[in-house]
Amino acid sequence: MLTIENLNASYGEMQVLRNISLAISAREIVSVVGSNGAGKSTMLKAISGIIKSSGTISFNGAPVSNLPPHLIVQRGIVHVPEGRKIFSEMTVVENLMMGGYLHQKEIKKNMERVLTIFPRLAERKKQLGGTMSGGEQQMLAIGRGLMGNPKLLLLDEPSLGLSPLFTDVVFSAIGEINTLGVTVLLVEQNVYQSLKISHRAYVIETGSIVLTGTGSELLNNQKVKTAFLGM
Amino acid sequence: MKPFITIIITGTFAALLPLLIGDNPYITGVLITVLMMAALASAWNILGGFAGQFSFGHAAYFGTGAYTTMILLYQWNINPIPGIMAGIVAACIIALVTGSIVFRLRGHYFGLASIAVAEIVRLTVLNFEFTGGAQGILVTDVALSGLDLNSKNPFYYGMLLVLVITLLISAYLRTSKTGFYLQAIREDQDAAASLGINISQYKNRALLISASLTSVLGSLYAMYIRFIDTNAVLDLRLSIEIILTAIIGGVGTLWGPVLGALLLVPLAEMLRTNILGDALVKAGLVSETSPIGIFLKENLAHAHVLVYGIITVVCILYLPKGILVLFRRHK
Repeated sequence: MLTIENLNASYGEMQVLRNISLAISAREIVSVVGSNGAGKSTMLKAISGIIKSSGTISFNGAPVSNLPPHLIVQRGIVHVPEGRKIFSEMTVVENLMMGGYLHQKEIKKNMERVLTIFPRLAERKKQLGGTMSGGEQQMLAIGRGLMGNPKLLLLDEPSLGLSPLFTDVVFSAIGEINTLGVTVLLVEQNVYQSLKISHRAYVIETGSIVLTGTGSELLNNQKVKTAFLGM
Repeated sequence: MKPFITIIITGTFAALLPLLIGDNPYITGVLITVLMMAALASAWNILGGFAGQFSFGHAAYFGTGAYTTMILLYQWNINPIPGIMAGIVAACIIALVTGSIVFRLRGHYFGLASIAVAEIVRLTVLNFEFTGGAQGILVTDVALSGLDLNSKNPFYYGMLLVLVITLLISAYLRTSKTGFYLQAIREDQDAAASLGINISQYKNRALLISASLTSVLGSLYAMYIRFIDTNAVLDLRLSIEIILTAIIGGVGTLWGPVLGALLLVPLAEMLRTNILGDALVKAGLVSETSPIGIFLKENLAHAHVLVYGIITVVCILYLPKGILVLFRRHK
């Protein structure tokens, strides 16, 4: 579904991504794990067109590298950015409506889907986004992304700063979203939880992919264990 | 519906005001300036307040409207009404060229570039002959069938009409989808882009609306004063007064810019005519012959920009959302 070949990206003089190549098939959950500053978020930003990159990114066979972000969203790649970035002065429903920008006719249907996945949001429809807890905001951000009818959902650190309880809720929601037919590319520092729900995973270090395998293979890999899981 | 009704009712009251004042050209003149600044700040607010794109060069659009109408009238004797239309077209061309280049950039580039564009327009006008150069353009006779343009009342109603239209557009934008997209862009540009909103297109729409309205006001001003030069209609000072009016009143609100104009224009007028200085003397607080009294008499008249500055600082420190918040109990 998504194929990336020799992706390079830099911030000014500093090269952040070096020859990243990866592939995601339809209906998979693929996670990219790695420490802070490894280039995980940069990779997602390059895919969704927020930053410029070199190399080829193709989606369902068509090249999408360096297209403006709004055209990439139209192809079905929706990016849920790190730090949630919900619209704090808008209510829950308004935030979700914003997510339905490209699919106005299906807003009602999509909104029902989101509210079923996140019942918590259904309870707080009229609340202002900025007044919700971090976990609720994360649900809202993912829900807002789902309103865009994604074929591929890019999730950037969805568990960042969440309590263990909300982390579980968010990870189980990701699984549920995947069973609805949405392919998920997950970028995480919470290595254990993300490997557990992923079909396949890549380990990224200082801008390069150093290891790849299925979720369970990597969970049992000695290097992953010592580097990320403290075992 | 409520804001629309409020706007119409307020507009109707304002339309009846000249009947109460009667024939008092001075008061009418001050009110015209209030209406003009309120409309300018409201038009700026569509771009600066709703979309969060701070333009520091709105004088460019004001001046473009003023100059286009004046040049057409002066050189080719073209009626002001088509002249106003031509002004809108010219302002939109400048806005489109600026916007399509600058809105691609991130951060505060638009603000900086808007100053540059305004200065380019000003220097161009200053150095061409057909624009009157540094001498400006003076038109002694404006004729428009059926209207007595030697009276101030037509301009009062003209400015009021543009203000009401601007407020109606603002009120509509706040409740429309476009308004929500602009708000999303203001709150978080990346998040808005990640939802598929064409950021530069929406910014350009806001800029075009804002620039068109500003240009009409420039045309009206030119017909009203009948003399324009770059200092009057293209100066950076004008751009800044527009911004300050909106900020002090309340950026991003419907009535804030109007409130700002209601406060600042009469204040500037009081300073200019030295009513304030005289009042201090009359109240016995300052002696007319004391050094302070002399200083006030000589300098207070030029001090309105300084006073704007002080009010702005106070507002930013204590009322960052503008004076309008004082009139609301919550939010």
